[in-house]
Amino acid sequence: MTLLEFARGPAMSWALIILVAGLTWRLAGLLLLLRRRDLSRPRNTHTWWGGFRTIFTRFWPHREFLRPTAFHLAMGYVLHIGLFVVVFLFVPHILYFKGLLGISWPGLPNKVVLLAGALTLGALVAFLVRRLTHPVMRTISGWDDYFSWLVVTLPVVTGLMAFSHLGARYETLLAWHLLSVELMLIWLPFGKLAHAVLFIPSRAQLGAWFQRRGVRA
Amino acid sequence: MSVNMENFQRFAEAVKQLGSEAPACKLTDEECLAAVKETFARRLTPAMAVQLESCVHCGQCAEACHYYVETGDPKYTPIRKLDLLKRFYRREMSPLRWLHRLYTRDITLDDLSQWQELVFDSCTECARCSMVCPMGINIAEMVLVNRQALAAAHLIPPELRTMAQEQADNASLFGVGSEQFTQMVKQLEAQGLEVHLDREQADILLLTSVVDILLFNDVLAASVKLLNLLEKSWTFSSEGFEAANFGFLSGVESVQKAATERVIRAARACGAKVVIVPECGHAYPSLRWEAANLEGEPLPFEVLAISEFLGRELKVGNLKLKKIGRQKKVSFHDPCKVSRHSGADRDPRELLRALDVDFREPESGGIMNWCCGGGAGVFLINRAADLRQAAFRRKMKQFDATGADSVVLSCGSCRLNFMVGAQRANWDKGIESLVELVAANVVEKSPPADRGSAIQTNGDPS
Repeated sequence: MTLLEFARGPAMSWALIILVAGLTWRLAGLLLLLRRRDLSRPRNTHTWWGGFRTIFTRFWPHREFLRPTAFHLAMGYVLHIGLFVVVFLFVPHILYFKGLLGISWPGLPNKVVLLAGALTLGALVAFLVRRLTHPVMRTISGWDDYFSWLVVTLPVVTGLMAFSHLGARYETLLAWHLLSVELMLIWLPFGKLAHAVLFIPSRAQLGAWFQRRGVRA
Repeated sequence: MSVNMENFQRFAEAVKQLGSEAPACKLTDEECLAAVKETFARRLTPAMAVQLESCVHCGQCAEACHYYVETGDPKYTPIRKLDLLKRFYRREMSPLRWLHRLYTRDITLDDLSQWQELVFDSCTECARCSMVCPMGINIAEMVLVNRQALAAAHLIPPELRTMAQEQADNASLFGVGSEQFTQMVKQLEAQGLEVHLDREQADILLLTSVVDILLFNDVLAASVKLLNLLEKSWTFSSEGFEAANFGFLSGVESVQKAATERVIRAARACGAKVVIVPECGHAYPSLRWEAANLEGEPLPFEVLAISEFLGRELKVGNLKLKKIGRQKKVSFHDPCKVSRHSGADRDPRELLRALDVDFREPESGGIMNWCCGGGAGVFLINRAADLRQAAFRRKMKQFDATGADSVVLSCGSCRLNFMVGAQRANWDKGIESLVELVAANVVEKSPPADRGSAIQTNGDPS
């Protein structure tokens, strides 16, 4: 079995199994914790609406915080949109998903995806530099922050290398790329990358809490 | 609307002495750690667990914190204040604890002493950080859990320990117990006010706070005057008059429960349908949101902040106010616990508009307000004086920018903190109470024909 066959076959299968099992374990563990009923008299009773709304409103900061959070906001959007474009709108990826899921959708021209990849990498580097240099970021950062950064950056770098045929044989580059994606999938449930899912219940909890108190957060 | 400055200085001196009277900690190191962990385990809710799991360490909460913004010291980053709780959660409760234990340090005694400054001196639980967090983490609520854990280990600032102990032992604060309160009632009566004390039946139980009794007597008199003018059936209770809850402030759960129960007993005794919390920021959430959960059942009465109560009376036409005129330029400082924590930020504004003053809404007003820097008991912690003053700089900038001549407040602790801060900085803005302003400008005779009732006897008026 070649490295590429391994990356395409058992490595991907196990990565997906660990991704699903890990996320299920983490979410089930959280959902199974006992919830207590709040007995205070609510100002608003439609707490579900506050929770639902906050899932979306926190995609953009209150105007109050626009300026002080501008860096994170800008880089955050570049990173997340960039990743979305690269992962889901690159034609070879769409073909891969078609093989896996049986469905496909239109992609973007390679040049656009390449630009998105470069911008994504730029945002990742900017985040790392800020984490290493800003006093607040240095104070609150742990190894999960750096490791999670690495496992997101590796697929982007290897993807760009494979796309550009830079550094090694194409098959080798592709194997590296797949293995780095698998590493990310395996790590996702266990570290901070799980915010990809956890942002929903977390925001909803706060939104419901404030809604109950009559505060539009 | 003057404050007796002699009393003010005497009060400030009493605060300076507070720490020296603190009871000593009798727990061993192991018992301290065990008490902290037991409290974390008991108080950590599923909502908190989800939020602790979601943090991406983006650091944006720092930009919302007055202590960080004014000092630039990264140790004040709000999410960092939850580090102990997060470490405990990861090691002991997380679904991934088997993994987290490999790389997450256990809590040590050294950590506990360091964190005392972070969750007491440099956090007022103002919850401004919760407004910016992209993951929706309720940091302030979890800081309270940290306070409770440190309180269980007797590791709280000596001033708060003294206050909580006094409230536990004597049901008094700064020496003001039932007897001293009754004396105050007599003083109010000597001013010609009709004061109802310990009535057997009343629709409203009016609370007060030690700060109003010792310093801001005029606020107390104004509240009495307004309730009388509105012809409400109301009473004070000599057994349950104190709204301030140092159990809630310091995290001592037993004291919080006992102080809450005194008020609930007093309200039940007179059959009150409404309990009015005076101008006291933390007292409001303590009774409005915490009490029912402490009791284990819904409260048999409604809880209103006095600004909220007056706002309602204004809305239904019971409260008529004179127009002061636009020559009076005022701004308003929202108490975090009443506005941001509790959604009661509109009533004070309605009252000021009804007074027809030149109301200058500050930038970052309402639920986005900056804390005065002294909330959640910080105004009593002597070693935090410089940090508090640093945070107060933000308030001065905020109100200087409005061009208002005075700042109206609806919280005695905020007012005290403003007075101390203004004195230290020679800040010349007027500082006045909303209730006093309303009482001084109320129309004393209103036609009886069109009176409604803002207090409903059945159901939830909200």
